[in-house]
Amino acid sequence: MKGTELNYGELEGVLKGLLENKVVDCLILPRRVGNNVSYMLVRDKDKIAAPESVIFAPSFGVNAANIVKGWMITEKVGIVAKPCEIRAAIELIKLKQLNEDSVLLITADCAGAFANEVYAANYADIGDQVDSAKIKELAGKGISIRDACAICDNRLADVGDIAIAQAGGEKAVVAGLTDKGEEALSAVGLSLEDKELERAAEKEKIAAEAKQNLEGLPKISSEEALEEFLRDCIVCKNCRDVCPVCYCKECFFDQPLGNPVGGDLLNLAEARGAIEVPTNQLLYHLTRVYHVSTTCVACGACEDACPKDIPLTRFYPVLAKKVQELFEYVPGKDAKEPLPFTTYEEDELEECLR
Amino acid sequence: MGEEKGGFEPKIVGFTCNWCTYAGADLAGTSRKKYPPNVRLIRMMCTARFDPMFAFKALLNGADGVFISGCHPGECHYIKGNFYSRRRIAALRTILKQFGLDDRVKSYWISASEGDKFANTMKGITEEIKELGPNPMRDKIL
Repeated sequence: MKGTELNYGELEGVLKGLLENKVVDCLILPRRVGNNVSYMLVRDKDKIAAPESVIFAPSFGVNAANIVKGWMITEKVGIVAKPCEIRAAIELIKLKQLNEDSVLLITADCAGAFANEVYAANYADIGDQVDSAKIKELAGKGISIRDACAICDNRLADVGDIAIAQAGGEKAVVAGLTDKGEEALSAVGLSLEDKELERAAEKEKIAAEAKQNLEGLPKISSEEALEEFLRDCIVCKNCRDVCPVCYCKECFFDQPLGNPVGGDLLNLAEARGAIEVPTNQLLYHLTRVYHVSTTCVACGACEDACPKDIPLTRFYPVLAKKVQELFEYVPGKDAKEPLPFTTYEEDELEECLR
Repeated sequence: MGEEKGGFEPKIVGFTCNWCTYAGADLAGTSRKKYPPNVRLIRMMCTARFDPMFAFKALLNGADGVFISGCHPGECHYIKGNFYSRRRIAALRTILKQFGLDDRVKSYWISASEGDKFANTMKGITEEIKELGPNPMRDKIL
């Protein structure tokens, strides 16, 4: 791995350089809006100001990969985002919803994030970046990171083309993870040297904490519990719309069969005596969890988007993880690895069938 | 309770492939093998046509059991349809397991020449589902 250590102040130059040297045609980049953080699509390098204050900001609003979902364009798009968002982008490449040659994926270290409204309300306490000690201290004050972040075991920058890693103090290591990434950094004029970014001990510590937090999460362990859990769902399908890896052009649940109205609904009620309305509450969530079961990157965007505050992290990422364990698959790790449902082995899984 | 269960006749929805299991069921019929009438078969061209959503839908609509059956692995009429299907069913059962419903969804491989096996499997699954009792979602408003 080749990279270089920079002061925070120099990151602005690197990002501007990517646009200036036509390494990318546009950049999707977090920006500060008052106390909050949101994304912007930049074409003019002069609009980039002090990115170091936002790229490590522990705030999650939308998954950046969802912005570029289905962009099969030839212009090159650079995305600076958290590891979960970049993993989602890699899944989108595999799902043929994103052109591998036209993206430059830049991953920044993440320490865990607050829902963006929580972040904005407590900006004075939280600041531009946090570490695990600070997160514990804030939790003591009742300001907690998102459940999805608490159970995340994969939040150091190690996927995508370029990693921006925190190196302590006001320093960051910028390193190319792929040839494309290294070429991009060279094109900006950085002189690269060999860098070690494995951070195995730190990763182990994060994974252990994540596992503990996952076990502490309330479980939905029976059919009754599932009904109870989804009782408030209004089937608005926001969780689908914000999900970076839920990508069908025409969702089954937008079609007459999946979203019956009028006479169709009466016929269903006739057959069963009575049915719950809005209809297909459970069928929608069960089908959706199956659809994203191998590709879910556990970003928790579904939970953030739920207008009824259903803690969907206990459902989607938790169930998806079980399926991913079955196939020993880590979503977003490698764009070359096939999706579990698109491949098979001749002799496998017989014990899982009955 | 035991008596109650004895009186319970489950409804089982079977998704079978045109080339193997459906033909196997045909053979069971023409060779006059008896099997329980609790099983309702739905013929598809290949088990790969089976979408796990079908199982969710059947269970939510009160089916007590669901089974998927097709050609033996490696003998698919379409070469590899049942390999893909096997992965999907494994994922489906992993999801259902969280809610204690995985025992209601089963999958078998029964070829066109296995009329006996078909009849016995149907007996077996009917017994197993009787043992489990009615689907908890059967009479609920869902």
